[in-house]
Amino acid sequence: MRVALDLLGGDHAPDAVIDGALLAVDRDPALEVILVGPPDVAGALLAARGATLAVVPASESVAMDEHPVRGVRSKGDATVRTIHRLVLEGAADAAVSVGPTGAVLAAAVLTLGRLTSRPAVAVVVPTAGGPVVLLDAGATSEGTPEQLVAFAVLGTAYAEILGVRQPRVGLLNVGAERGKGDQLRKDAFALLEQAPVRFVGNVEGHDVPHGGPADVVVTDGFTGNVLLKGVEAASARSDLPRSALLLGVAGISVVGHGAARAEDVAACVLHAADLARQGLLPRLREVLGTRLEAS
Amino acid sequence: MTAEQVLDLLRSAVVTVLEVDGASLGRGTRFVDDLQADSLALVEIVEIVEEDLTRAQPGFRIADEDLDRLLTLGDAVDYAVARLR
Repeated sequence: MRVALDLLGGDHAPDAVIDGALLAVDRDPALEVILVGPPDVAGALLAARGATLAVVPASESVAMDEHPVRGVRSKGDATVRTIHRLVLEGAADAAVSVGPTGAVLAAAVLTLGRLTSRPAVAVVVPTAGGPVVLLDAGATSEGTPEQLVAFAVLGTAYAEILGVRQPRVGLLNVGAERGKGDQLRKDAFALLEQAPVRFVGNVEGHDVPHGGPADVVVTDGFTGNVLLKGVEAASARSDLPRSALLLGVAGISVVGHGAARAEDVAACVLHAADLARQGLLPRLREVLGTRLEAS
Repeated sequence: MTAEQVLDLLRSAVVTVLEVDGASLGRGTRFVDDLQADSLALVEIVEIVEEDLTRAQPGFRIADEDLDRLLTLGDAVDYAVARLR
């Protein structure tokens, strides 16, 4: 498996990125990491570590405080764009960045295209009752009821690929009873009842880390991101995910925290390689095709 | 390339990206207010149209600083036609 890795993304780049890449290839000898960034920077860091990795040149990065879409559009040579171009061209099986999520999303969509109308950040939270797929965990701040339905279909397909049979879909809300929440939740509830998914109603924030009523939890990206960071901060668990999948783009694109350290980068790279090995994309196309035909 | 041909290209890009009914799209349709296009969708549409128009005029590009002024499909068509020789 070949993973294209953004050398310039993240608060601790490039050192944490390169150290994470080396950890990943050490743990998975069948893995090939392609560093995407300035060759002189990559070369110096690799030489200092006595290591060798493939390097594809790209000179620019999109800053955290920059408009992500405009930044990606104006910087054709940006690392986030190049990692996805390598996937598009078949030179890599997956792309990984711990740079700004908005920029990674924009680069993925503009380079690879979409599988569905609205991609989402999908995080898999392990629980005693099995994995819980939370989406959207940060791709889009303002959701619509139709988008939450699209997330339910995407999340169901992903959960099925993860081995969950007949995944139950819950709508993240402030209470389990019907009629709870703001207008977005009320409208989404009505649409989800008619959607080609196994909708089980509203779920609450604690149902994500604890598991239970739903295998797939859908929400808008703003709320999902707030919940995820709260769970991470409040929990002492070491098994919480370090990486997330951009679900709904036409390729495998994995993102991590901007504050990622080497271990986190390695986890992202290994996660991306696993998804590629499992044939995520063709399976997702197949499952989505079936579900969308049923809708 | 005529304004009608550019409008057809643009309409096709909008349908692809936003999954709306092409028959409902006219020169007066507003990208944000009527179609709820966000910044990413707008740039997707722009890049599809640029690719199409590059065949007619190599290197055709909509300047980033002009994007905010293209509020309707008609604005975008007029902008493109004025820059196509």
